Amino acid sequence: MVKKSMMLVCALLFGLSLILSGCGAPAGKTVGVQSVQKQGKSITVAVQDNFVSMDPGDTNDTLSFSAEKTMMEGLIGFDKSMKMVPLLATSWEVSPDAKEFTFHLRKGVKFSDGTPFNAQAVKVNIDRLSDPKSNLKRHSLFSLVDKTVVVDEYTVKVILKQPFGAMLNNFAHPAALMVSPAALEKYGKNIGRHPVGTGEYMLKEWIPGDHLTVVKNPNYWRQGYPKLDSITFKSVPENGSRIAMLQTGEADFIYPVPPENVQSLVGQSGVTVKHKPSIIVDYVSMNTLKKPFNDPKVRQALNYAIDKNAFIKVVYSGLAEPMTSEIASNVQFFSPQQPYPYDPNKAKALLKEAGYPNGFDTTIWSNNNSTYIKATQFIQQQLAQVGVKVKIENMESGTMDSKIWSVKKPQDATIQLYFGGWSPSTGDADWGLRPLLSKDMIPPQGYNTAYYQNDTVSREIQQAIETADPAQRKAAYDKVEKDIWQDAPWVFLDTRDNIYGYRNYLKDAFLLPDGSLDVQKAEIVK
Amino acid sequence: MLKFIVRRLLGMIPILFIVSILIFSFVRFIPGDPARLVAGPDATYRDIQAVRAQLGLDKPVVTQYIDYVEGLLRGNLGTSLKTGRPVAEEIGSRFMATFWLTVVSMGWAFVIGLLIGVASAVKRNRWQDYAGMFTAVSGISLPSFWLGLMLIQLFSVRLGWLPTAGFDSWKSLVLPSLTLGSGVAAVIARFTRSSLMEVLREDYTRTARAKGLHYNIVVWKHALRNALIPVVTMTGLQFGFLLGGSVVVETVFSWPGLGRLLIDSVAFRDYPVIQGEMLLFALEFILINLVVDVLYAVLNPQIRLE
Repeated sequence: MVKKSMMLVCALLFGLSLILSGCGAPAGKTVGVQSVQKQGKSITVAVQDNFVSMDPGDTNDTLSFSAEKTMMEGLIGFDKSMKMVPLLATSWEVSPDAKEFTFHLRKGVKFSDGTPFNAQAVKVNIDRLSDPKSNLKRHSLFSLVDKTVVVDEYTVKVILKQPFGAMLNNFAHPAALMVSPAALEKYGKNIGRHPVGTGEYMLKEWIPGDHLTVVKNPNYWRQGYPKLDSITFKSVPENGSRIAMLQTGEADFIYPVPPENVQSLVGQSGVTVKHKPSIIVDYVSMNTLKKPFNDPKVRQALNYAIDKNAFIKVVYSGLAEPMTSEIASNVQFFSPQQPYPYDPNKAKALLKEAGYPNGFDTTIWSNNNSTYIKATQFIQQQLAQVGVKVKIENMESGTMDSKIWSVKKPQDATIQLYFGGWSPSTGDADWGLRPLLSKDMIPPQGYNTAYYQNDTVSREIQQAIETADPAQRKAAYDKVEKDIWQDAPWVFLDTRDNIYGYRNYLKDAFLLPDGSLDVQKAEIVK
Repeated sequence: MLKFIVRRLLGMIPILFIVSILIFSFVRFIPGDPARLVAGPDATYRDIQAVRAQLGLDKPVVTQYIDYVEGLLRGNLGTSLKTGRPVAEEIGSRFMATFWLTVVSMGWAFVIGLLIGVASAVKRNRWQDYAGMFTAVSGISLPSFWLGLMLIQLFSVRLGWLPTAGFDSWKSLVLPSLTLGSGVAAVIARFTRSSLMEVLREDYTRTARAKGLHYNIVVWKHALRNALIPVVTMTGLQFGFLLGGSVVVETVFSWPGLGRLLIDSVAFRDYPVIQGEMLLFALEFILINLVVDVLYAVLNPQIRLE
């Protein structure tokens, strides 16, 4: 009897191991999977999170913007590399003092509910965004607007209270996607669930927590578009499941693909994985108000002490680039600097000069997701080589937020090192520098976790937005970026790659550097 | 019995009231600022203050509580801070997904668990027992995220039989319910086995056998009925837990259920949604306990409901 039971256990174990070994084998051998043939003209996009709102002015997550862009269009759009291109405005002029912005609108465009698109429609939208009473999350992008004037049916002029040279980028921001005035009137506060725009697609259904589907807008103004019948966005939080969906063909496009999973998809037939530089930078800010980080030599030493290429290999499986300025190379007015090479001896020498021959103890704060944990551990290991002992505190983001932003007086701040990332959603240098490094942006006002308060730099950042002249702005940012780089309030680490995967028959679906999806012009090629 | 049920239902009201106070204060003990999280990762200080005022979070906590209770009395659970949707709608749209997953998982887990348990108890220390308990221990020990991903690899990626994600048809239910139910089936199997073995040693079982009843009738009709009482208690508890939504299984299978909603809401400090969900869970548990108590009486008429 005992023998019999042993045999059974063995048999069970054997069976189980067969199943498991089967699962572990490369999926390239599978039957049925790569013979996925695309039927019809509808695609599924698997994304990580849930959509929050479909009201552009009240949206602050890149994912919701991605879906909004399939249904609505702005005056200005972004091309693949985030350069501004005409969309609902065919051209524009800016006054030399950067206060008056005149837009010439595209003629013969209608919102999908039949409402004509004209200067009045633009005015309704800009008025709504600039009115604090609308309670919109993106109000700050348009709080400088004094008034919007309808010049004629297809010309509209926006006048600012004070000069703001980066304003065009705010018009190109997804928050300024144009919503049908009739729909705004009809749905009021519920416009976020009934978006109506001039875009390629129209909302069909949105089941929160599950999926959102858009269908072809038959009256779209651009000839020959859209190319698909429908797009379904499905929320798939687990990385492994998203990848499985791409393999089975249940999803035609997935993002994000975690760097460590890229290898499992490369070489599989029918599937392409792409990675391209984003505008997201990773940095370690150092509290420049307090010892030891009040000494620029110490801050530079830390920059020399970390091997950025090794960091990228460990944390991002090689899918990132070392930072060469405080902003990513895709951001407008990027000005490349001389990187701090990996040189632990120089770091030690600088620490000695600064009066820390034996290093010192410090603490690093960061979010507690697995990438950030890996990153802080790597930083800890590297800094230990030059005598700096780092204690890691990985916190849940809400908890960390309150530790950073509940500080009222700068001298009470207990923050020392902080590892984080930043994505300037307007694609302009101003939003990549001012909230993080200008002196009026220390917590709780902004995101200057380095408490960096360099008067010259702050003044230069301000000057750069007082003109809309690209040449003048460029000159100002060239100087700002150089000054900050030498002052080193941050350890400059990397610019992350955006990684996404799609089935080979899908064309013109991609991610913009800001991490938002561009699938409006996607098509299926057989 | 009807009187008993009505009394218990009325007794729910004070319990739910106390629960609501506890939940209201506990969610506010979590560090973190909902206004900052709602305003977004690059909001300015002014944006955040505006959001705080708009959400009513700048009011004193006592005022907020009074508003909350007033809403509750009118059947209004409030509005989600994150999406601006009514909480009842947020929860309602996910409840059915979790409900069906729970019912199907519990359904097969109960039947299979019971069968394994009975087989093991009857064939005590024989190969059927070893095999049954081996399966049960595996069911308890396999982490559900691992089991889920393996099932996806096998049945979705390699064989292409079943979908990977979402809740579109009965096919979508198969893998998540297998994953979710395996642990429960194992627990039920073990409970049934030990409880039934105890009952089979009782005098009345021996009497039944002695008067010449067939062994199978003794087991299935007389012994099992009595052995079921602890199993029903256990099943009720498990049912309650599953109705709360399983974060892991819902995440792996992209299931639009309550577990993910709760985790998302906690991460976002979406107080009204957390409150609403916790209140719903409390209600579910109270109701399940009531059903379990009634089932006791049905299984064993000696138990009287007072």
